[in-house]
Amino acid sequence: MSPNTWVIEMPSQKSCSHPYPRRISPYRTPSLNRDAFTRDSPAAATSGPSTRSHNHPVFEDIRTILSVLKASGLMPIYEQVSNYEVGPPTKTNEFYSFFVRGVVHALTIFNVYSLFTPISAQLFYSYRETDNVNQWIELLLCILTYTLTVFVCARNTKSMLRIMNEILQLDEEVRKQFGANLNQNFGFSVKFLVGIAACQTYIIVLKIYAVDGVITPPSYILLAFYAVQNGLTATYIVFASALLRIVYIRFHFINQLLNGYTYGQQQKRKGGGGGGRRHRGNGQHHPTPNPAIMEHFPEDSLFIYRMHNKLLRIYKGINDCCNLILVSFLGYSFYTVTTNCYNLFVQITAKGMVSPNILQWCFAWLCLHVSLLALLSRSCGLTTREANATSQILSRVYASSREYQNIIDKFLTKSIKQEVQFTAYGFFAIDNSTLFKIFSAVTTYLVILIQFKQLEDSKVEDPEPDQT
Amino acid sequence: MAREQSSEAAAVQPLLEQFQQLFFISKIVGILPQDLDKFRSRNVLEKSRNGMIYMLVTLVVYVLLYNVLIYSFGEEDRTLKASQSTLTFVIGLFLTYIGLIMMGTDQLTALRNQGRIGELYERIRHVDERLYQEKCVLDNSTIGRRIRIMLGMTIIFELSILLATYIKLVDYTQWMSVLWLVSAIPTFINTLDKIWFAVSLYALKERFEAINATLEELVATHEKFKLWLRGDQEAAAAPPLDSSQPPQYDSNLEYLYKELGGLDMGSIGKGSSMSGSGKNKVAPVAHSMNSFGEPIDPSDKAGNRNPMASNMVHESELGNAAKVEEKLNNLCQVHDEICEIGKAMNELWSYPILSLMAYGFLIFTAQLYFLYCATQFQSIPSLFRSAKNPLITVIALSYTSGKCVYLIYLSWKTSLASKRTGISLHKCGVVADDNLLYEIVNHLSLKLLNHSVDFSACGFFTLDMETLYGVSGGITSYLIILIQFNLAAQQAKEAIQTFSSLNDTAGLVGAATDMYNSSSTLHDLVTTTMLTPTG
Repeated sequence: MSPNTWVIEMPSQKSCSHPYPRRISPYRTPSLNRDAFTRDSPAAATSGPSTRSHNHPVFEDIRTILSVLKASGLMPIYEQVSNYEVGPPTKTNEFYSFFVRGVVHALTIFNVYSLFTPISAQLFYSYRETDNVNQWIELLLCILTYTLTVFVCARNTKSMLRIMNEILQLDEEVRKQFGANLNQNFGFSVKFLVGIAACQTYIIVLKIYAVDGVITPPSYILLAFYAVQNGLTATYIVFASALLRIVYIRFHFINQLLNGYTYGQQQKRKGGGGGGRRHRGNGQHHPTPNPAIMEHFPEDSLFIYRMHNKLLRIYKGINDCCNLILVSFLGYSFYTVTTNCYNLFVQITAKGMVSPNILQWCFAWLCLHVSLLALLSRSCGLTTREANATSQILSRVYASSREYQNIIDKFLTKSIKQEVQFTAYGFFAIDNSTLFKIFSAVTTYLVILIQFKQLEDSKVEDPEPDQT
Repeated sequence: MAREQSSEAAAVQPLLEQFQQLFFISKIVGILPQDLDKFRSRNVLEKSRNGMIYMLVTLVVYVLLYNVLIYSFGEEDRTLKASQSTLTFVIGLFLTYIGLIMMGTDQLTALRNQGRIGELYERIRHVDERLYQEKCVLDNSTIGRRIRIMLGMTIIFELSILLATYIKLVDYTQWMSVLWLVSAIPTFINTLDKIWFAVSLYALKERFEAINATLEELVATHEKFKLWLRGDQEAAAAPPLDSSQPPQYDSNLEYLYKELGGLDMGSIGKGSSMSGSGKNKVAPVAHSMNSFGEPIDPSDKAGNRNPMASNMVHESELGNAAKVEEKLNNLCQVHDEICEIGKAMNELWSYPILSLMAYGFLIFTAQLYFLYCATQFQSIPSLFRSAKNPLITVIALSYTSGKCVYLIYLSWKTSLASKRTGISLHKCGVVADDNLLYEIVNHLSLKLLNHSVDFSACGFFTLDMETLYGVSGGITSYLIILIQFNLAAQQAKEAIQTFSSLNDTAGLVGAATDMYNSSSTLHDLVTTTMLTPTG
């Protein structure tokens, strides 16, 4: 078997009429892969992708979140050219996105104006000056983050489409090669959407109840737009996490594929066939994939290397697209978490006047931001780990022939200095440790803030000011 | 299944054999739910329903006892700080209960992992067998000794802290003071659990070192072999030349001569290593210091090899590339397997380690801060009464920090040992000096590069010296912040007191007491521990 067969075959298969061009091999049945990577019903799993209609929407998994983003002008309303390609938006749709963005900017300007004039004064009813300033800054940060998001999204329309196309192309290749449909249930995105919407409505309702007197229309607009801004920023973060999750699934797929060739699996295969020297398979920790036949290694590995490279490019692309947004979101979220924790403590410690309204408000904010931070850092960390795992798994492949060893060496050498990371504009890498760092920083600030507040309180009560 | 295999590799004794006493104690105090009889008879950790129930019962009993302790000793605090704010209450509650949280994490994790821990030791046994096949025998008896030492130290520390505090600082005329004994339970249980982790980690480190030693031994025998070959060759011509350590310039010159003489070095394989032997004199120089900064002692190797070189017939495995490839491959696979075991172990213990680190950080900071408070004659919470005595504080701190630092240090050393294998492998390549072997070594060292074993606490931070540095920095800065604010609070308090002494009217005295309370919340921020909900 020539190792390059599939490369030659590839262009002729563009029409997708025949989904299994290469092999339906005895060891790797399609249903195996589908079991490993799909969570939909077994009936759909057996029917295979060929029965699906031609015009099923791409990115079906994250359809909901995409439609929200499209409607708000953050994502282009792309045209679906085929099952595995999306085209640029039509003129009217492009105009629509443009229009929405214009409206957003107009509203932003209006809001900033009303923030700096006494129109919105009634919204800052709070009992202390510093709290008002805090809320003010929070509002400004929110506006800044969202404006930045809109700008960056508008600028990155083309690259976003390119990334989507690359992902789709990759899917197509995988389907041709292995008949596997890399879909997964992205229920979390919908859950998060609902959660965000509920949280924002709740916060607005709380705010409206808290304000005494009649609320003027500009204040209503300010509040509503504030909620929308927050919600959309959060939605964008969820979208980025979902994209990362998509990449993660692809990485995971090739890792599983490669895992079939590792020595543990190979020994298991020999042992199953009736007697290798070492009859104990030591691969209890990788129970899922079937051991693959070593003869397929050259072609599979070539495919895997190509896929890995493409995935890395996609990963970088995603990172480039949401770099700035992530930085500003992390900053905003850090600020919000700190101030809300502080408010919470102040509320709890304030003797006698605990207002349930503010408590709920703080809790809602904390829940929203902490869960978003956790989601983001988790998906980044997972994807980074999976991307780095490929070379680790490959190092477990022990081939006897020199030729195979060279194949392995090439990839391992390439990946020596290739550090895969998801960074926030190069400032820091985002993974679980980021979460830890953010929370330790929040704790430190809280300790300092609370100490100062108590010092302040005791000074205020002190009638003699000259003691310093 | 274990029985069948034990006949095949009778010389490999299971690691768990050394854990007898530790398992017995852990079983009694309720850290491990596994079956005691099966462990005694067959050295396996198996799930057991009774053990689980027993463990849950002990957990509940400990929690109850601890709460009773907090309640009964909280009496003293209640009169002292009747007017504390809710914030200090919350933080104090957290400091009080962190020990209990840590113990609960340990026990619940052990319950969750009860099936998988046995599997882990089974995997270690497989590794031992494979190492045995590669003629690399491990001595587990040091581990048994280690366990005993650690157990002894734990008991000494716990007892000394407990007794010293009890005798010096607890009012032992009341029978309720016996409850103070309960305060040692969480730390004791936690330490026992960590001994399991530390010893298993140490066993992994030993296995890495055994692999390294095997590779080094290959190098050593090959050097002897070459020396023997050359000695044989040169014995007639110049006997004194090889009796001492060969001068380097000499062999370098020899190498140059050969190079200049047009001898194709590459084509001379290891099979005829007598002609290629001159080159390898470079090896001891190039490796007199490895990249970890440890000197490789060439002198004692030379001392060993010379007397033997003359009268023994040597065989070197490194001469036969095809044979050695198999061996190196196997060693690499075992290395990978050990790395995987390390990862699995880290995952099993990730939450306990996280809670231990949090506990260590908080308790260390709190204890030092309270020590400061005690020197300033301020009141400190009754559970931290050991801070009143500097000596007991030192013992308690060294106990807590010893636990954390030892774990971090061991994790760091283990990952260093795993990285050293690559260096040892390269020494093989250098000493054999054979194209074929070089290829193998290059290939395998690329693989070794990708075997990573890094220990971390839930991915939040890695356990290495850098983290230790960061943590100590964190403790210092928190201490400075706390002490500064404490000073400020003291100043404010003094100001109020002078003020109240100046205007000694009845109404103002009342106000001043209020102020006293509110300013004392400053240092109560961390100080306070116990309060009834009514407070």
